Amino acid sequence: MTEPAMKVDNITFSYGDLEAVKGITFEVAPGEILGFLGPNGAGKSTTIKILTGQLTPKSGKAQVLGVDVTADDPEMQAQIGVCFEEKNLYESMSGAENLRFFGSLFGLKHVDADDLLRRVGLADRANDRVAKYSKGMRQRLMMARTLVNTPKVLFLDEPTDGLDPVSSQAIRKLIKQEADRGAAVLLTTHDMNEADELSDRVAFINEGKLYAVDTSENLKLQHGRRSVRVRARDEGGIKERTVSLDEAGAGDALRAAVGSPGLMTIHTEEASLEAIFIEMTGRGLEG
Amino acid sequence: MSLTRTLKVLSKDFRLGPRSPIFLWVLFVPVLFTLILQVTFGSLFDPKPRLGIVDQGTSTITTSVQGMEGIELSLIDDADELKSKVEADDLDAGLVLQAGFDDQVRSGAQPPLEFYVGGESLASNRIILAVTTVDLIREVEGTPPPVEVAVVPLGDEGLPIAVRLVPFIMMYALVIAAVFLPAFSIADEREKGTLNALIVTPVKLSEVLTAKGILGVILALAMTVATLWLNDALGAKPLALFVVLLFGAVMCAQIGLIFGAVSKDITSVYALIKGTGILLIGPSVFYIWPDWPQWIAKIFPTYWVINPIFEVSLNNAGLADVWVELAIALGVIALLALALLQLTRRLGTQLATAT
Repeated sequence: MTEPAMKVDNITFSYGDLEAVKGITFEVAPGEILGFLGPNGAGKSTTIKILTGQLTPKSGKAQVLGVDVTADDPEMQAQIGVCFEEKNLYESMSGAENLRFFGSLFGLKHVDADDLLRRVGLADRANDRVAKYSKGMRQRLMMARTLVNTPKVLFLDEPTDGLDPVSSQAIRKLIKQEADRGAAVLLTTHDMNEADELSDRVAFINEGKLYAVDTSENLKLQHGRRSVRVRARDEGGIKERTVSLDEAGAGDALRAAVGSPGLMTIHTEEASLEAIFIEMTGRGLEG
Repeated sequence: MSLTRTLKVLSKDFRLGPRSPIFLWVLFVPVLFTLILQVTFGSLFDPKPRLGIVDQGTSTITTSVQGMEGIELSLIDDADELKSKVEADDLDAGLVLQAGFDDQVRSGAQPPLEFYVGGESLASNRIILAVTTVDLIREVEGTPPPVEVAVVPLGDEGLPIAVRLVPFIMMYALVIAAVFLPAFSIADEREKGTLNALIVTPVKLSEVLTAKGILGVILALAMTVATLWLNDALGAKPLALFVVLLFGAVMCAQIGLIFGAVSKDITSVYALIKGTGILLIGPSVFYIWPDWPQWIAKIFPTYWVINPIFEVSLNNAGLADVWVELAIALGVIALLALALLQLTRRLGTQLATAT
């Protein structure tokens, strides 16, 4: 059995009296993308800070690549990549200089900055100072920096937040490629579609508590309401009927609806991750 | 603590330095400050009188002038060259001493003496050189001076203002390079979030701070040496000077790191430097006004590095003469190191818990 790349066992953390993380437990396997979903202040960033060794959990245990995160081990740090929500790049350096400098901190003698910049679509701006980059370009450079050491574990905090669709898509593609390479990815995002598209599993976190860790399909099956919406024209005009597939007699009701004369459209409707999140936590993902 | 990682951060700071206006300010302001103060009060542009001598024999006058610190002596081979140098204002005055000049003077033969004066030379320099020449000839003759000049000092005795300003200028250079630069650099990286980016790599926060401290120490050493050199105050003991300057640079860099660690942003650094600058530079003011009670200066921690620098650079003291001050400075440095250790931990927590 493959050892998990991240193993979190009942960790807690408090900022003074405020309990930010309340005994959460999950694992992420190599090559897996775990979407970490929750509103602001849910405990997502605190969990990432614990896993990257910036904060020490009050209780519980967390391991990254088999190393206790409280061990302050540079070997472990050398194998992780962190992409912050904040664009914390050296603005007076060029894109290539940023990558080479961070690569040197990981002990790399040679950093193929050109290749990394090509992967994020910044090859032609390699020698421009970051101060001249747009927001989207900075975010793509952040991703390139995260990958500079070919990390085995990636922590991505809202990597596509506020980006245009083209930049977002480029970053999503890169995340997929990294997971295919074998990197374990912990991805925090507000974007349900992104989480659905990228994540092998999603975790719902709210007020420091983990509500669910599962595939989005399973969550939808277990918690969502499945229904079929049928539109048909009759003498009285266009009529719409919704048939719940979770109720008794759903098969007969559906057959009757589909067999209506003047049938126009049939739409299957699945619950969204957001709807499931609200159902489980009693709170939306925004704000 | 890894020296390799520390040096990588240091190398980055040095590479980025010339792109930062603050870094350039650190390099230029102390030099500019020195020039302004020396032009106003000092003697940076008051040249020493320049005397050229053509000694066709072995006159004791030449030997005597060679021993005088206040006169810049040039030995010239022939009289024509001497004349052309004086004419071109390369020398203020020139003397041609014939072979056997001293013997002829002693025998009362009154030998001819050619004394050339440059048309563009300063009147003060002409007078100094002429009077000195006459005095030296009297010495050779062995006759007492016709009158005995009674020298009566007026005004306060002590070092000239140009010399008394040196500790102030030097301390200013130390504070700008070793206190302000590391503090600013930490606050800047904290404000821009790059400190957070560094500490999720194998680099430790303590290594980042050490790199910034070393940057401050190196620049402080360079700037204080430059400042002392511009003030003609490097002293005669380079090793002792290096040691006392190193103590000063290290103590100031520690203070800079502490300022950086407790400041949330660049504005806080400016406020802190403004508020405490007088405490850092304070002891140097007591050299400018020596009438003030000097014991007050000893209350300031930086006194224990300023005074050894003053003694070694301006009074030619050795390490043996200033060891007590250096021992106290070492104690202050140790206390600051302990405080810094605590503040580094605190800064690490603040960085991680900042939202």
